[in-house]
Amino acid sequence: MSNVYVIGVGMTPFGKHPERNATDLGAEAALAAIHDAGIEPRQIEAAYCGHVFQGMAMGQRVLAHIGLAGIPLTNVENVCSSGAVAIREASLAIRAGEHGVVLAFGTEHLTSRFRGALTPDPDDVEAAVGLTMPGIYALRARRYFEDFGVSREQLALVPVKNKGNAALNPFAQFQEPVTVEQVLESRPIAEPLNLLDCSPVTDGAAAAILASAAAVRRLGKRGAIRLAASALRTGTVDPEPTPMTFEPLTDATAQDAYERAGIAPEDVNLAEVHDCFSIAEALRVEGLGLFPVGEYLTAVERGDASIGGRLPVNPSGGLLGKGHPLGATGVAQVVELVRQLRGEAGERQVEGAKVGLAHCRGGKAAGIEGAACTVQVLTR
Amino acid sequence: MTSASQPLASRNAAVPLRPGLLEVDTDGTGHLLGSRCPSCGAFFFPQRHVCSRCLTEELEATPLSPRGTVYTCTVIHQAAPGFEVPYALGYVDLPEGVRVLGQIAGVEPDAVRIGMEVELSLEPFGEDDQGRELIGYRFRPAPEERR
Repeated sequence: MSNVYVIGVGMTPFGKHPERNATDLGAEAALAAIHDAGIEPRQIEAAYCGHVFQGMAMGQRVLAHIGLAGIPLTNVENVCSSGAVAIREASLAIRAGEHGVVLAFGTEHLTSRFRGALTPDPDDVEAAVGLTMPGIYALRARRYFEDFGVSREQLALVPVKNKGNAALNPFAQFQEPVTVEQVLESRPIAEPLNLLDCSPVTDGAAAAILASAAAVRRLGKRGAIRLAASALRTGTVDPEPTPMTFEPLTDATAQDAYERAGIAPEDVNLAEVHDCFSIAEALRVEGLGLFPVGEYLTAVERGDASIGGRLPVNPSGGLLGKGHPLGATGVAQVVELVRQLRGEAGERQVEGAKVGLAHCRGGKAAGIEGAACTVQVLTR
Repeated sequence: MTSASQPLASRNAAVPLRPGLLEVDTDGTGHLLGSRCPSCGAFFFPQRHVCSRCLTEELEATPLSPRGTVYTCTVIHQAAPGFEVPYALGYVDLPEGVRVLGQIAGVEPDAVRIGMEVELSLEPFGEDDQGRELIGYRFRPAPEERR
């Protein structure tokens, strides 16, 4: 089976784009990736589109805009992991030998679909009794405080770090750093989480061009970044309740990815993880085995997760700072890793990065820990 | 309008908030419904078709204990349309080994805490799109917590 490489990436600025729509955003990101790859559009053999709330034929609408209507396209909905799963599906098509050059993109115009807190599907019993997405993470944060003895102030360091990184990223929704005081004084959403602990409602799109080893040679692409693993799992139904302060789903998906990529957590130089809420970043990196369980916030306090620290986490600004257009999020993480591994990340460059990890997970249904989780490993 | 004090069973056309969620007894009280695996004894909530531990298919619908302990809690300030904020929400661990999410009422939202003992209370939960009254549930502090 062929190795899989990323030969081009692109994204739109993330933010609120009231004058645009998901088609227009998706087309901009796809064209940016095609131009970045330096290929002819007709060299793309197939496409995968991740989105959550954009309705039927989302990907086809984008292809029609960029002159590629007619090629095989699959729309992917896997909640917040939709974009990451579009990349995974593209990589599987390449590994299977079916296609040599594949476009994977994600797009979401969330401001036209949602205001305020997202909720699980209304059919779900937990949504019916009043659960919101911030509520899930607030419940986990309260228990995390209890189990590990960390403080509300320490948790605020996560949005401070990520919004600070976002201020170095011209594609990020937030362009200004925030202080611990601003996080603590922002309005409560689900206690103990405040507004600045929550990822914003975001419009945006991101795209990547994946290629087989043969296609990379044929196209003469030197220095292509390798997609060394793209793992996917779904949340399990456990016969006994498990601690909500650790993520077996993230752990299991990460083990699949580490094994496939032939690496250990210690080999990772930077990570883009799914910080939909401040507490989520701690749960992710601890589940991934990148930091000891219960110790992440102390590590953030020491600067270990900052750009220039032992293991920078979310140098792009993450979901908290860059924004979270659901279907585009997983692709945008890969865009960031590719730019970092190429040494093109400007002021937020992680020096000497060779191994990058991207983690997405999202969704909720009663009785399962999480809906879908992906872990991707990129290397140069 | 029916009042909350009227026995639920006496109301016309009241239906559970979600199918298979709960059962109302003749005295107006009731219980949540879970699944029990006859082979390995595991309990599940909400109900499942197949046991995730041993894959037995013939799971039995079973009433769950009405009393449990708050595993974690929050106060919701921004909710979906139709919910009046703020309200307390908690995961409650029941003796069967299932964890159930519910609102915690009958106490100031800020006073709910991890470890609190709570009891199930079947309560009106609005109407469905056919105008039928929906029966949902909340947890309320157990008698010894109210002293």
